[in-house]
Amino acid sequence: MALTLTCPVCGKRNGYEFRYGGEDKGPRPDEEELTPADWCNYVHMNTCTAGVQKEWWFHRDGCGSWFSTYRNTLSNLEVAHGEDSQ
Amino acid sequence: MNRLHELPTLRIDTHETRSLRYRGRSFQGFAGDTVATALYANGTRIFSRSLKYHRPRGLYSLDGESSNTCMEVDGVPNVRAENTLLKDGMVVKAQNVKGSADFDLMAFTDKLDWMMPAGFYYKTMHKPAAVWPVAMKAIRKAAGVGTISADYKVKGRYDEIFLTSEVCVIGGGAAGMMAALAAAESGVRVVLLESRPYLGGCWDYRASKYRENKPLFARARELAAQVERVPNIRVFKHTAMVGAYNNNLITAFQVGQRDDVFTERYMEIRSQTVVVATGCIERPLIFENNERPGVMQVACAHRLARSYGVLPGKKAVFSVGHDMGLETALDLFDLGLKIPYVADIREDGHDNSLLEALAKRNVPVLKGWVAAKAHGCKQVNKATLTTLDGTVRRQISCDLLVASAGHTPVNGPLILAQAKMEYDEHTGYFLPKHLPEKMFSAGRMTGCGHPLSIETSGRLAGMKALSAIGVIDDTTVSTAEMNAASLPGADRGCKLVTAPVKGRKSFICFDEDTTIKNIKQAIDMGFDVPELIKRFTSAGTGPGQGGIPGHNLPLYVSKYTASVSKPMPTTVRPPLVPTLLATYAGAHLHMFKRTPLHASQKKEGGIFRNIGVWKRARYFSKDFECRDEILNVRNNVGMLDSSTLGKFRIFGPGALKALQRLYVSDMSTLKKGRIKYSAMCNDDGCVIDDGIVVKRGDNDYYLTTSSGRAGNTVEWFRYHTRYDGWKYHMVNLTDAMGVINISGPNARKVLTKIVDSDVSNKAFPFAAYREFTIKEVIPVRAMRLGFVGELSYELHVPASYMQSVWDMLMVAGTEFNIQNFGLEAQNVLRMEKGHIILGQESEQRTNLLDLGLGFLWDREKADAKTIGAVALRQAEHDPGRLKLVGIRMEDDTRAPRDGALVVDTRVRGYVATARKSFTSGEAVGMALVESQLSKPGSPLDIYEDECKEKRLRARVVPMPFYDPEGQRMKM
Repeated sequence: MALTLTCPVCGKRNGYEFRYGGEDKGPRPDEEELTPADWCNYVHMNTCTAGVQKEWWFHRDGCGSWFSTYRNTLSNLEVAHGEDSQ
Repeated sequence: MNRLHELPTLRIDTHETRSLRYRGRSFQGFAGDTVATALYANGTRIFSRSLKYHRPRGLYSLDGESSNTCMEVDGVPNVRAENTLLKDGMVVKAQNVKGSADFDLMAFTDKLDWMMPAGFYYKTMHKPAAVWPVAMKAIRKAAGVGTISADYKVKGRYDEIFLTSEVCVIGGGAAGMMAALAAAESGVRVVLLESRPYLGGCWDYRASKYRENKPLFARARELAAQVERVPNIRVFKHTAMVGAYNNNLITAFQVGQRDDVFTERYMEIRSQTVVVATGCIERPLIFENNERPGVMQVACAHRLARSYGVLPGKKAVFSVGHDMGLETALDLFDLGLKIPYVADIREDGHDNSLLEALAKRNVPVLKGWVAAKAHGCKQVNKATLTTLDGTVRRQISCDLLVASAGHTPVNGPLILAQAKMEYDEHTGYFLPKHLPEKMFSAGRMTGCGHPLSIETSGRLAGMKALSAIGVIDDTTVSTAEMNAASLPGADRGCKLVTAPVKGRKSFICFDEDTTIKNIKQAIDMGFDVPELIKRFTSAGTGPGQGGIPGHNLPLYVSKYTASVSKPMPTTVRPPLVPTLLATYAGAHLHMFKRTPLHASQKKEGGIFRNIGVWKRARYFSKDFECRDEILNVRNNVGMLDSSTLGKFRIFGPGALKALQRLYVSDMSTLKKGRIKYSAMCNDDGCVIDDGIVVKRGDNDYYLTTSSGRAGNTVEWFRYHTRYDGWKYHMVNLTDAMGVINISGPNARKVLTKIVDSDVSNKAFPFAAYREFTIKEVIPVRAMRLGFVGELSYELHVPASYMQSVWDMLMVAGTEFNIQNFGLEAQNVLRMEKGHIILGQESEQRTNLLDLGLGFLWDREKADAKTIGAVALRQAEHDPGRLKLVGIRMEDDTRAPRDGALVVDTRVRGYVATARKSFTSGEAVGMALVESQLSKPGSPLDIYEDECKEKRLRARVVPMPFYDPEGQRMKM
């Protein structure tokens, strides 16, 4: 895998060391007025951005941190916050 | 054949012979020979027959650009004989021949070329439609190169290595070596990849001057020695690059030599910068019969003589377009080759010293002439030379025609790295328009010709790489750039695309037998772009993957379509060089974990199975129904090794909050001294794990999970608490502690003998948690559980004490004839109690309520945002879900197989686990069925594979099947 990711504890590492944790959808919404469709969307539906998205990664073969970072899905490269490469 | 023994450029060791077997005979070669050079030295001229026309093919190049010398070696097809080193005893066979390479019975197809114009596959053989299946079978038999048996077992050991470097240099010629040396001066890690067995590139075999009194080959060896001495340059020879990916990830594979433990080794190099210095191959000259055995590239002829000591022929005609062609003619003449004529495409621009030297030797050089045709059916015996305008022709007899139209940069690595290539008018090369970030190119592939230019461009590339990562500053680089600018620039390239011929037998691609005529046919049919023509005519899609036509095809298309825009190159994809699937598959080692009791259990007759990453004892006798094991636990006492259970300490001020989030139960009511059995769900409410939690102290808990989830538990906890910032720690104790489960009515009697504590029912009741010691040193965490439905103690003990505890229990239990029991016995015992095993009674979609575990769920702890609670609430009244029920077979002698389907007119569920119970004499089990069928008494039809419509009958019954009051485990 060509991807590298920057772990907050270990620094820039080979993509193989990590597990993808999904798009960042924020903490669980309040249960009041939450329909099954809303809940299913929160759990399963993804925005699938063609471009930079914020997402979670787990450093499985390293320190075991969960962290969020930005990745450009078109180039499959990690980008700095707010930066749009391409 | 006699070899030229005394050359200082030889890469063979004439003191070490190697033999091979070919066509029933033994041939002798030397260490350093390739299979092809050894065969050639022994007189082989035809190595294979071509794909379509079965034309004889010979040694044309030495780097594997075509499939001419693809042969079967030791049972492996499509081995590129020309660059595979000869190993003693290799057995070699020709491919794609009926008969032999010399006498191929399929050779008549060459006369049928008129029947096979470009794209004929698409147009013929399918009208009427019935023809195609017949034609397809015939084509499959006739086409394809090489055969392999489905039973073939790959031999050897395939390894992998992952490297990190600051600079990765691809290509170990002069430019690559200079780049590596320059980069290494700063102390950074440099990796140098070279596909040949030695460094030196195209200087390795050339005697022309580098400087006064130093020929190129001496300079190459000098540089190589320097490179090998530098400790921070890691040199990998026999290593070809195959892929390039984002972030300068380079993949390659290395062919193992005698001292290597691997046959081939896959490499991944993560480098901060990459320098590509892969040099050039030759651009084939296109003329009639340009692929006849006896037609050979310039470098091939030169290296045969200089590196392998084999004079490639007796009498050679040269048709070249560049100074290196003249240089080779000169050198080979001096080594004994007769040269009646040298045809040079160029009218001017030659290195005059070469012309003078040839004149001195009375070798006539015809300027503005080119080869038009090679004559001879199996081997060249004559060559026709012509002026470029085709008006004057001469025929000369010869046994070798050394032909080349110039050079082609090996651009593969750059194209894979997504560099955009553009045609350069001066050199005639496709050069990169701009290079990808932190990638640099150097040497002949950029157009350099002069030795000093080549070296300087290498040094400059190495310095640019260092500058790109901030190791040196830009001013150092600029100075070097200025020095480089003063050196001779790129040579003017030869522009000739084809000799003036019609092209019916002028091959632009050897592998696919594509001729110039075929290209014209394709263009006339409307395919006007090289990428389309390539696919329609299949030129460049064979084993050589564009090595032969890659440069010529776009040039020819541009010319024939009278295009005013620049030629467009075709693309390449990884792997650049063919390798074995075994190399990509890597070392296939079966790795597994053992518990501390593995050896003891094996000694006691344990029969092991792979359960996840572990080896666990499933049975302790050949009776796989485990009758004795089961009844022993029910009536006596047995021992089970549960060491694989996940075990974790979770502590800290946020520990309880985390437990409340992850588990469905209310963990705040958990008291010290009591266990709590609970489950974890995912966001869909589906159960992913169950286990025990105990409280050992304030904010300090010990929890168990299933073996399969042990590896994911910390990740799971951290994932579901990632927004909260709670402070808690988790320690994975899975491997640090072992677990012995001692179960049966006599369990207490055995245990009490070895522990330092009161384990009476009063002191240690059911569902309690106690900590005590054994022999005052062994700390034990003990739980009383009811999984198998008998008096049970689960003893958690530090792994290093496991053997001792087990030994002590075996001794203490001798009086009762204590026996081990395995996973299958445990499976049946717990099934009789209606206890679930996740993955057996549940699958991905099974939620907590389906399994009847709703009693674990505490709905009142809303603040905890328990994982799964939302989905469970939403699914609670959903009638369409499967429910877990107990079943009893109509026929007690026959239990259905696990996984058998519950059916009527359609599938209504499935059997999770079912067995004949020795305890009760009934055939019972658990099944997941649609809720309409889940009422006790409902009849069920069960369908087993291969039952031939004879279904089994059962009905839904309440669970547990054994000891419904649960008295036995509370003893």
